[in-house]
Amino acid sequence: MAHPSQLGFQDAASPVMEELLHFHDHALMIVFLISTLVLYIIIAMVSTKLTNKYILDSQEIEIVWTVLPAVILILIALPSLRILYLMDEINDPHLTIKAMGHQWYWSYEYTDYENLGFDSYMIPTQDLNPGQFRLLETDHRMVIPMESPIRVLVSAEDVLHSWAVPSLGVKMDAVPGRLNQTAFIASRPGVFYGQCSEICGANHSFMPIVVESVPLEHFENWSSLMLKDA
Amino acid sequence: MTMSLTKPAMRGLLAKRLRFHLPIAFGLSLIAAIAFKYAVTEPRNKAYADFYKQYDATKEFNAMKEAGIFESVRPSGE
Repeated sequence: MAHPSQLGFQDAASPVMEELLHFHDHALMIVFLISTLVLYIIIAMVSTKLTNKYILDSQEIEIVWTVLPAVILILIALPSLRILYLMDEINDPHLTIKAMGHQWYWSYEYTDYENLGFDSYMIPTQDLNPGQFRLLETDHRMVIPMESPIRVLVSAEDVLHSWAVPSLGVKMDAVPGRLNQTAFIASRPGVFYGQCSEICGANHSFMPIVVESVPLEHFENWSSLMLKDA
Repeated sequence: MTMSLTKPAMRGLLAKRLRFHLPIAFGLSLIAAIAFKYAVTEPRNKAYADFYKQYDATKEFNAMKEAGIFESVRPSGE
């Protein structure tokens, strides 16, 4: 989850998110380059007595300020497209989970082997235990095996929602009547938080997502226990 | 007989100004980009590389498990 007053991205917990972080650093570096240049030029322009009302055109400067931005755009586009295609690769998931958005909770279905399904409601603030995070904890978490490709099929039962977990680099709209697919690999064990990312009514801010990444044997134990309890 | 003044520069004033300021402008922006690269990008890349170089997922998982943060697996005491 984010720390108070955090400005940057959360620590990456998936390879795709790491790539996105590095790309963002690259793009931000270019932004700083352009911004310092423009700031310097603005200051130089307002601090001169030289004025000429009769300049009509200049081929040289037109060429410069067309070619230079085109080159910069290519420098941004190449890494961007690389990540785009990386995210789109055929990934052969080990597990498929359906995440259904409702007003105002998520439900998860693990139907690869047995029929496991459960709802995931936010824990109200007054029911939190010490150490738990306000507006982020849920009664049931989406548990996944770590270091395995996971496919998530996202949809909604009523209005638009969006299933997002920033540290995994995942966000996918939940559209009623439509199945959207996303995939990720959790690089390490841990608990990763997200929140509904499409306005969906009064409690849009109160339907968080918690993904718990554990070794495979513990995931199998958990799913057997959940099936028994169901 | 008075001394005549030197004729002031009347042309090329913009070019002179540009010759002075543009290299500084481009230089400063390049310095800003390089500074960002070495102050932010490289430390971040190194931090991620160092984190995963010696990362023992089982050890970290057990430490987290004993801290009680998981719902699917409880600490060994419980």
